[in-house]
Amino acid sequence: MEEPLDLIKLSLSERVYIKCRNSRELRGTLHAYDQHLNMVLSQVEETITSVEEDEETGEEIVSKRTRNVGMLFVRGDIVVLVSPPLRTS
Amino acid sequence: MRSLYHSSRKQEKLTESITMSSEPKDSTKTPAEQSAAAVIENKRSPADFLKAVLGRPVNVRLNTGTDYRGVLACLDGYMNIAMEQTEEYVDGQLKSKYGDCFIRGNNVLYISSPTR
Repeated sequence: MEEPLDLIKLSLSERVYIKCRNSRELRGTLHAYDQHLNMVLSQVEETITSVEEDEETGEEIVSKRTRNVGMLFVRGDIVVLVSPPLRTS
Repeated sequence: MRSLYHSSRKQEKLTESITMSSEPKDSTKTPAEQSAAAVIENKRSPADFLKAVLGRPVNVRLNTGTDYRGVLACLDGYMNIAMEQTEEYVDGQLKSKYGDCFIRGNNVLYISSPTR
């Protein structure tokens, strides 16, 4: 591996995990990417985590919502982290 | 092309003369000038640190405050980072682990190496 983007190249047509801004996570099959990290994914599961505070008890309530998208274009600037599935090599 | 070559030769001579002149302690120079000359002599740059920590365990902090600890595999000019055996720490608590991970450079606050 010579540059970090090679890691993404190795993940083409594999399932990847993407951490985005605003506590969103994506899991999907990577079809294409570019130097900005714009990406095209299919069979995507988006998880949105939100933390709310209970007004009476002051407890933090973590809620997760998921939704499925068939095909998704992700704009690169919201990407924080990309991780390929665990490989045993 | 020729002029480029010429100017780089000139640069060489210039640094040569700087290192030469800084060898004997010159009392006519201020301490600041002396230290500046020392820096030129050592030619240390932030890139040297990054080269030194390649393949070593590092701690990468993002702008969000999240820490990633792992082995620095490689990085590029955007400060995009590839890491191995990465552990994600949020508020100092281990949140998850990644075998390999890519971090987009714009999120990086700093890269630190553990003290030996």
